[in-house]
Amino acid sequence: MSTIPGMGMVRGMGLTLRRFFAPKATIQWPEVHADVAPKFRGRLQLLYDEYGTLKCETCFQCAQACPIECIDMGGMDTKGRFHVHWGPPETYGERREESAVRRSGRPVADHAFTRFEAIDLAPLDAILEAHDYDPRDMLAILEETQAAYGHLPVAALRHISRVTGAWYAMIYGTATYYRHLRFEPPAVTDAPPAGAAQRELEDAYRSALDTALGLGGRPS
Amino acid sequence: MASFLATPREWPRVLTGHVDALAANPADLDAAVRAGAFDGLRKAVRDLGATGTIATIAASGLRGRGGAGMPTGAKWRAASAQPADQRYVVGNGYGADPAVHTDHALLSSDPYAVIEGLVVAAFATGATQAILAVRADDAALVTMLEGAVLAAEEAGFAGEDVLGTGHAVYLAVRPVQGAYMLGEETVLLKALEGKRGQPEQMPPYPTERGLFDRPTVVNSIQTLAAVPWICREGGSAYAAIGAKASPGTALVQLRGPAGGGIAEVPLGTPLRDLVKLAGGPGPRPLKAVLVGGPTGGLLPAELLDTPYEFDALRSAGAHVGSGSVVIADDRTCVVDLARLLTRFSADNACGKSIPCRIGLRRLYEIGDRIAGGRPKPTDATLLGDLAHDITASGLCDHERLATLPFTSGMRYFRSEIDDHILRSTCPAGVCQPIAVAAGAAHRDPA
Ligand SMILES: Cc1cc2nc3c(=O)[nH]c(=O)nc-3n(C[C@H](O)[C@H](O)[C@H](O)COP(=O)(O)O)c2cc1C
Ligand code: SF4
Ligand code: FES
Repeated sequence: MSTIPGMGMVRGMGLTLRRFFAPKATIQWPEVHADVAPKFRGRLQLLYDEYGTLKCETCFQCAQACPIECIDMGGMDTKGRFHVHWGPPETYGERREESAVRRSGRPVADHAFTRFEAIDLAPLDAILEAHDYDPRDMLAILEETQAAYGHLPVAALRHISRVTGAWYAMIYGTATYYRHLRFEPPAVTDAPPAGAAQRELEDAYRSALDTALGLGGRPS
Repeated sequence: MASFLATPREWPRVLTGHVDALAANPADLDAAVRAGAFDGLRKAVRDLGATGTIATIAASGLRGRGGAGMPTGAKWRAASAQPADQRYVVGNGYGADPAVHTDHALLSSDPYAVIEGLVVAAFATGATQAILAVRADDAALVTMLEGAVLAAEEAGFAGEDVLGTGHAVYLAVRPVQGAYMLGEETVLLKALEGKRGQPEQMPPYPTERGLFDRPTVVNSIQTLAAVPWICREGGSAYAAIGAKASPGTALVQLRGPAGGGIAEVPLGTPLRDLVKLAGGPGPRPLKAVLVGGPTGGLLPAELLDTPYEFDALRSAGAHVGSGSVVIADDRTCVVDLARLLTRFSADNACGKSIPCRIGLRRLYEIGDRIAGGRPKPTDATLLGDLAHDITASGLCDHERLATLPFTSGMRYFRSEIDDHILRSTCPAGVCQPIAVAAGAAHRDPA
């Protein structure tokens, strides 16, 4: 606490003066663009409006887009109605797991570090060469990579990104979309083939439809 | 080998005409040629020429069998009119609806009809690349199709010099898998480009900016399989079949209590006749027909005279969609069925558009509430408003159509929905834990 009256104001004015003459960080957008890394997505932050309520619409756009599926929505809406996420309150790790299974049908294994380990790239190089390092063949490249390694190791995706010139985020976006692609080795050795994820969903739909029609599980 | 339901003798067989001749080995090119395969292509390249072929297809009135019923002639004309260094033709054989096997049946019983249709489409639109996109699940079918494409190229029906005319049409079979939305044309093109499968706003249509930004014709393989017949027999012969505004035949996947199967039916056939083809409603009274697959509409018994045809179905609140016609008897609860279908649509939404991703989820949550015995009095209104908003803000047809089970249910079975909401009863005795209406608890224990 300052004892001299008015000292606070003087200090404040001093700061103002210093800032006034300091070089400015303002960028004349859109004429000038800041030089940022291509994968920069801005700072992740939840904002509040002037009434102090969260601006988030729980539209799940961010959760859907999040490449490592670490974002999910949870809680109640403003009228205390529904839980917006689909499970009991749980730890962050559990929620992340559950959210991943619910949205992509795949668990996110917690081998956070092993997945980054270096792998033998020789089989991958052969695949890439066969496709002429063409990013337009990305799905075929990813499918063959999965066939060669049993899953899509992060190191492989990085390598594919480096040699094809496709952004890692784009490759990741493609690989997370298709249900037959997976990022971790199957937990059991006699795991069903990768394409089974989609087929399971379709079988479930067929039998649910039959049940709703009162037909039981009769084959069509 | 797929088998088709027997249909009345007088019904024309445009798509299944060669099936018997190829029964021994559908990939046998010689047998197919003896049965008349590639006669249409010959006529197109020798007599009609590119513009003549498009004119013939336009005159036939052929409309896309992928669901929306876009006029095929107009689509081809748009693609060929677009200046480009490269054009593509894509045969959409993904067959997204899990309960419909018509594409598989067609490809596995007469692959050359589809291949011929692809080559004709490529020739007519000036495309040199034609891609047949099929499901990767059935590896044997993929191998068979690859063999058939090779055989057709070796025989000069495709490849660098189609029938000695100097036109090149290179064919490729591309197996795709991993998402329901792959059936939608812009999503399929994304997959073929090796990208994440999310639809694009249309317009611009793929005929303007499609695969790798080049003009692209995407046709259902059922549409393509009708093309050889039209080239061979003429546009007016095809226009004479079926309904006036929706000529020709279509493959329909029928399913009901008494059985079902795949049948080739002339468009415009009343739903009543389709129910009969599926063996009738069975011992119980018919309650509704679900027309159009997971995004289809529920039509009541009073509407059985509706012709199975693009426009009539749309105005009745259903659509041709995946070509599925499902018969539901009185054991089916409309709310239960609609929420199941909506849940499927929501689970398979690609996530790009918010009303689709969240709106459909909210829609089936309302259905869950109603079926689960804790509805709100306003749920019927909410259902209608939400469905309207989702449809109005649709990015792709999936979103615009996925509300149909509920909106058609509200339109024709409102009293049953009100029974759930206002009286806590499920007339069909399906929904729990709602009190079951006395005398209606006849659901089989099976
Ligand atoms: C969700 C959704 C799924 C679709 N699935 C298929 C399909 O499985 N097969 C198909 O041919 N068309 C499907 N379509 C329609 C295609 O987008 C496209 O309109 C069609 O392939 C064009 O061919 P056509 O003009 O011959 O109908 C689907 C559309 C939507 C919105
Ligand atoms: S859920 Fe939607 S509104 Fe909420 S933070 Fe994510 S993107 Fe933004
Ligand atoms: S399916 Fe992609 S936005 Fe609806």
